[in-house]
Amino acid sequence: MSWKIKALKKSTWVFHVNTGACNNCDIEVVDLLTPKFDVERFGIKLVGSPRHADALLVTGVVTAQAAPRLREVYMQTPKPCVVFAIGACACGTGIFHKGYHVVGPVDKIIREIDPNAIIAYVPGCPPKPEAMISGVVKAWSAL
Amino acid sequence: MKLQELDDSLQALKDKVISVDKTTDKRIYLTCESEKSFGICKFLYEDLGCRFVIATGIDSDNYFEILYHFAYDELGCVITVKSLVRDKNNPSVDSLANLLPAASWIEREVHDELGIEFKGHPDMRRLILADDWPEGVYPLRKERKK
Repeated sequence: MSWKIKALKKSTWVFHVNTGACNNCDIEVVDLLTPKFDVERFGIKLVGSPRHADALLVTGVVTAQAAPRLREVYMQTPKPCVVFAIGACACGTGIFHKGYHVVGPVDKIIREIDPNAIIAYVPGCPPKPEAMISGVVKAWSAL
Repeated sequence: MKLQELDDSLQALKDKVISVDKTTDKRIYLTCESEKSFGICKFLYEDLGCRFVIATGIDSDNYFEILYHFAYDELGCVITVKSLVRDKNNPSVDSLANLLPAASWIEREVHDELGIEFKGHPDMRRLILADDWPEGVYPLRKERKK
């Protein structure tokens, strides 16, 4: 295991990207940071810039307007980084599958620019905060 | 104002509307041609003191419908003005935005999605479609689905 991966697992700083979510997943992501779940005890912290982040929490289906912005945010994130696709829409477009504004699920957009990207999926509509913590733990153990 | 009085005041619109449908005591639909809708909305807002809630655009097969929803809070009643836009090639209707600034954004959205022209709207820029979306393609029109 490289020291970079080790450091990433010790304190994962996350950047939250909304690529067209209905705000439901976003509320659950914010819930994750409240004292009830308090993920800062695991070293997980929300940061204000992708340049400071080790992980991206992407919520929502990727819309035509958001796709170039998501690529830009991913390119600005220092590597190695983990992309968490939060919610049914981000994992596989969900009910917006045939929408005119939809480009694709998060993994498709990310893999277009980086085929070896590390992507973790947390399905649910919205996923519970516990499910997100479980997704982070699984991603850590897979690294 | 009682419900009966509301009904009576709606009688003033009799020559402007095609029909008045009351599905329940709290839901009234006023169907009209698109040229008349501005006058009816103005009457509801200025004379009756209704509150503008939202507008809806629908692509029915033979015409477009714009539904202006007004709330009459004293009775908890929602009055919907159904404005029928019959010209499918150059659909247009008088804008409410100068009378009701709250209608400005929803009219821009309806313009984006269905391509209905709102005459007299102060600022008809694109609102919700992507920046690179082609001009003249309206995503929620039925012909696009076929």
